[in-house]
Amino acid sequence: MRVALRHARAEALRVFRDPGALLVLVGAFFLYSSFYPIPYLPQVLREVPVAVVDQDRTPLSRQLVRMADAHSLLKVTERPASLGEAEGLILAGHVGGILVVPSGFERDVQLGQKARVGVFADASYFLVYRQVATGFLETVGTLSAGIDIRRIEASGRTEAAARALRDPVPLLVRPLFNPTEGYASYVVPAVLVLILQQTLLIGIGLLGGTAAETPFRVAPTPAGDSESVVPARPRGKTALSRLLGRSLFYLALYSAYAVLVFTVVYRLYGFPERSRALDLSLFALPFLLACIFLALALSSLFTRRETAMQVLLFTSLPSVFLAGFAWPLEAVPSWLRAVSLLVPSTSGITGFLRLTEMGAGLRHVRFEWLVLWTLAGAYFVMAWLAERRSAARDVGPASPVPGAE
Amino acid sequence: MKAVLRREMRRIATRRLEPLLLAVLPALALALTWAIFSAGLPRDLPVAVVDRDHSRLSRQLARMIDATPTVRVSERPADPKAAEELILAGRVYAYVLLPEGLERSVKRGQAEPVVAYTNAQLLVPASLVRRDLLSATSTLSAGIKRRRLRAAGETGASSRARFEPVRADIHALFNPQLNYVSYIFVALFPALLHIFVLLAAVNSVGSELREGTAGEWLETAGGSVPRALAGKLLPSTVAFLAVAGAAMGVLFGLAGVPTRGSLALLLLGTLLFVLAYQAIGVLIVALSANLRFATSVAAFLASPAFAYTGITFPTMGMPAFARFWGALLPLTHYLKLLVDQSMKGAPGSVSASSLLALLAFVFVVPLLAWPRLRRILRDERFWGRR
Repeated sequence: MRVALRHARAEALRVFRDPGALLVLVGAFFLYSSFYPIPYLPQVLREVPVAVVDQDRTPLSRQLVRMADAHSLLKVTERPASLGEAEGLILAGHVGGILVVPSGFERDVQLGQKARVGVFADASYFLVYRQVATGFLETVGTLSAGIDIRRIEASGRTEAAARALRDPVPLLVRPLFNPTEGYASYVVPAVLVLILQQTLLIGIGLLGGTAAETPFRVAPTPAGDSESVVPARPRGKTALSRLLGRSLFYLALYSAYAVLVFTVVYRLYGFPERSRALDLSLFALPFLLACIFLALALSSLFTRRETAMQVLLFTSLPSVFLAGFAWPLEAVPSWLRAVSLLVPSTSGITGFLRLTEMGAGLRHVRFEWLVLWTLAGAYFVMAWLAERRSAARDVGPASPVPGAE
Repeated sequence: MKAVLRREMRRIATRRLEPLLLAVLPALALALTWAIFSAGLPRDLPVAVVDRDHSRLSRQLARMIDATPTVRVSERPADPKAAEELILAGRVYAYVLLPEGLERSVKRGQAEPVVAYTNAQLLVPASLVRRDLLSATSTLSAGIKRRRLRAAGETGASSRARFEPVRADIHALFNPQLNYVSYIFVALFPALLHIFVLLAAVNSVGSELREGTAGEWLETAGGSVPRALAGKLLPSTVAFLAVAGAAMGVLFGLAGVPTRGSLALLLLGTLLFVLAYQAIGVLIVALSANLRFATSVAAFLASPAFAYTGITFPTMGMPAFARFWGALLPLTHYLKLLVDQSMKGAPGSVSASSLLALLAFVFVVPLLAWPRLRRILRDERFWGRR
């Protein structure tokens, strides 16, 4: 145990004395967690610019346009004369949607005939489409309901009866956990978890590559005085204590980040944090261990300082889409879902989101928790084998300092 | 330049990392994104129905919900508490509460709301589920209303107008099937590709400095920095254009994304996009003269970039700083060009600004890098840094 603690200390020194490792394992966490969320901070897309083509020019059509402009999701910015002109505005990206009120609109309503208006929304940007369609549908629905209820009331019924006749089984939708359906609350917490995993994989990979470039170097001894020369990687039983020591340091560092994420960062951005501290810690433990052991196992594959970053950087985007929060897993082929379980963030993101934003208990994430413990176990064995192998390679015939401690 | 080109081809062929960055990993990334999204829109998302009414009407509504394309009634818990457990455990995306007395109130002519609780933490499934639940309840409502009006002696035409005095016909422009897949897939691959272009450019120049071979490289080019760069970067330009071409084949061939605009503009844009990120990669290495640090900077430029492009959360809703930073990324301009010229079929004049922006990166960024590059390629003090 004492030996392991010395190795933890040596690992800390290794990280803090290497500007490259320091940037990835310490700087990157703060940099990314403050920079990444900025585009999403307004949370909800409001006041999407829209165009109105009013071919009716009656009090009723003007009322509809006023109501559309008053809707929080829409803002009437253009009033082109024709639909063709309006289409040009959408193609140029000046507006996200068009409302066309055809001539004869008010007359149709007064005659008790069905009146139609046209809504054209730019579906090449999904959120724009959703806000424009929702905004116009709600506006038209409100106008329509008002007309309908007045008509039914005119036939001698009370307002309540009129409402019931109009829509006998209305549907009320209550969005749980993220009631404003905010975009930042949806995407940023997941990315924060991913930042923990990716900085560990790349940071430890960088150190692995560095060690491979310099099989022997003057390392700080466990005692801390850099006078004596010990091989960077000892073998045998010491491989185990070295692995435990190194992991201990990363676990301590990243536990601190995890606390920071779920207290300070969550509060700063106003995300709900509904978890119980014990459940959250019990879940974070196998997640961090799985990431650390995977990183240590992978790090033995890298032969240069930069390689880990160059090879692993692109995995962030696919990891996001395989974690099941941005894209429903029902639509992902089952073989790919099985493979994606090998990445800690797949279960980690799901579990952390349920615990924190949804207020679930550990029992609700039992599957994810067990997967993470399994990964932690498997990657531990791989990391141990990697540590032993690199130790054996180091203490080869060219070794100026044979043997270990 | 031919000599530099030959030298570079030899480097690529004899090293392990370069083929990975130029072909293997981009191809893997393309295959991965295709595998994730190829199945198309999700069908049969699980929801729970809590039926407290046990009536003919409530059973009918549950059946209608189950029959919608996107939603499947997978569980029938007895009470809301049990349904909440199912949401928390991630087994359903929503639950619908059919209240006690639903049929009785409807028969009495009272409106009895049905409440759907959706997991809004998962925005995409939540909105798909909401749409189908709304269509199920409004179909049920409309049927009841029609029967009632007919019973009151009103006939077809007038009761239909009654049913909805003003109707909005919604047209989804450019993507009438509201295909989320083609929308996200169009953007995702270029977002992955630009990571590799940037990293490869940083690596190819940076490793000459790191390994102390910069002088030899410049000598091969007869001492000319532009010639040295051109010969060095050309093979990766060609490799990335080939990968991008394959991606477009998947996009327009397999995924069925429409090409309503100009394919020529798209190809020109793709070339400028690759060149722009190669130029930025060279600039980063030139300024830092350190492969490791330059790679970190490239990572910082590339990994949050997708959030800043306005594909997921539109540019018009972003804070001013995010709009500004997004405009400094060639990826933003390229993705706009891609959407305009593939799905939208916008006139070429609309894409002029995107092309000009990309062109500006291609011409201005190398000018910024040149003086510094000329110095560090000749001065041994800048070599060997890690």
